[in-house]
Amino acid sequence: MAVPTDEQIIEELRLRRERRWSIYDHPNLVRSLSVIVFLLLWEFFGRETDPILFTYPTAVAEAFVKLITSGELIKQLAVSLSALAVGFIVSLVLGVALGLALGMSRTAEAFFEPPINALYATPQVALTPLLMMWLGLGFSVKVAVVFLFAFFPILINTASGAKNVSAAMVEVARAYLAPPRQILFKVICPAALPFIMAGVRIAIGRALVGMIVAELFTAVTGLGAMLSLYGNIFETAKMFVVIVVLAGLGVSLVRLTQWLERRLAMWKETERALG
Amino acid sequence: MALNTLEQQAIAELDLPTTRPFRLVDHLGAVRASSVVFLIAVWEIFGRQVNPLFLSYPSAIGRAFLQIVTTAEFQRSALGSLHVFAIGLLAALLLGITVGLLMGRYRLVEYLLDPYVYALDATPRVALIPLLLLWFGLGISSKIAIVFLSGLFPVLMNTFSGVRTVSAQLVDVGRAYGAGERKLFTKIILPASLPFIMAGIRLAVGRALIGIITAEMFTAVSGMGALLIRYSSALATDKFFVPVILLALLGVVLSNAVEKLQKRLAPWKETERAL
Repeated sequence: MAVPTDEQIIEELRLRRERRWSIYDHPNLVRSLSVIVFLLLWEFFGRETDPILFTYPTAVAEAFVKLITSGELIKQLAVSLSALAVGFIVSLVLGVALGLALGMSRTAEAFFEPPINALYATPQVALTPLLMMWLGLGFSVKVAVVFLFAFFPILINTASGAKNVSAAMVEVARAYLAPPRQILFKVICPAALPFIMAGVRIAIGRALVGMIVAELFTAVTGLGAMLSLYGNIFETAKMFVVIVVLAGLGVSLVRLTQWLERRLAMWKETERALG
Repeated sequence: MALNTLEQQAIAELDLPTTRPFRLVDHLGAVRASSVVFLIAVWEIFGRQVNPLFLSYPSAIGRAFLQIVTTAEFQRSALGSLHVFAIGLLAALLLGITVGLLMGRYRLVEYLLDPYVYALDATPRVALIPLLLLWFGLGISSKIAIVFLSGLFPVLMNTFSGVRTVSAQLVDVGRAYGAGERKLFTKIILPASLPFIMAGIRLAVGRALIGIITAEMFTAVSGMGALLIRYSSALATDKFFVPVILLALLGVVLSNAVEKLQKRLAPWKETERAL
């Protein structure tokens, strides 16, 4: 007699061919249901409340369309993003350069460590009024605040990355008579890159916070100023539009750095898998 | 390291120096101390020459410190800030740990809540300040809300990922020995995720500190943040630095305290890493 195949056994015992439907296999269904119910409730109850204090989803969408077509949102977004970009690039360049220097020289590290630690420990928001006193209410104060927020994570991560470069690699390079320049660019920089990228990821979130803080306090231009303005004139729906845009900005910046991190510093994962 | 007689002879014959030449790297503590002295001296000399409306200098700040800290107004502001900070942070820790545990343990809860948690976590919390002020007014409750929101997400996210990394074997063994859901939580899941929770608390303390300062600066009614705004508007730079320094100290002290607590409550993390 032939050995019965799996198919035959399933047939004979009348086993179920498919897995029973389970809510756990459909996480996205649960998620979308949760969001839809939430939005419906918000819409329903939001309409009942005082529009000065609260709003509802369709009003937010309407305000969004209005702000887009009037060009106001795009204009302020551009202002905010340019301050963010300039401040971030400056902190990236200075942070990486100084971080590499500190990571490579223990004397330099000991000399610069106390002021860096002191400044890093100070909540940077507390220094915003001082910067406003020095630089006024314009573009430069935003750049300075973004710089102050983003600089330290990059600096500290780069320094610890450069410190953690394996001495064996540097010695091999020296043994092959690599000049200091090559040791820096071919050995230390690539080895420190995963650390630098981790610093960049932290810094980008903080830079965004810095940008909003600076704009909230100067309240002249940019998304933060819009937020402050619409708060003062009780246009809650428009405030929500700005908050949603800022949240979207936060998510996309983090995604961007994660993607960059994976592309630029892939050896980090590989190395960990070996260890 | 003791040298043998042959080595000592060789050194004497060749007239080699028996002590190491002076190198800065051997005296890093001195470098650090000189850095602090040097910076304070430069600040003092340079600061005395610029307009006192823009920059102060250490001895003036010291004088202002002694002058301010004894006043009732300052003490009231500091205590008010601490009070709000403590309430908001405590609420954030309670809710963050609870929701984090539930989201980590039950997938249905995770799927229901994670759209909001991720969205709110990505939103820069400072962007919510104008909205919260609109809802809660300029008093103590809006500040508590801001501290709460600033501290909530680091704890929640860390607790969540801590619970998720609890090894399934531990849970299975617990079940095999007949542990109920309560026992699983208190004897296995909570201790195993404690190092993550403590790391989250450390992050939350820093974020909550930033939250309280920003909120107080923005409302400018009471607390240390309001003092910052008042002194900077009055161009009293020497007084301005007093709350800044105290806030920096507060940040360092709190972060160190949580670190100590982490070592006491969850010493097994270090052991595990060493293996």
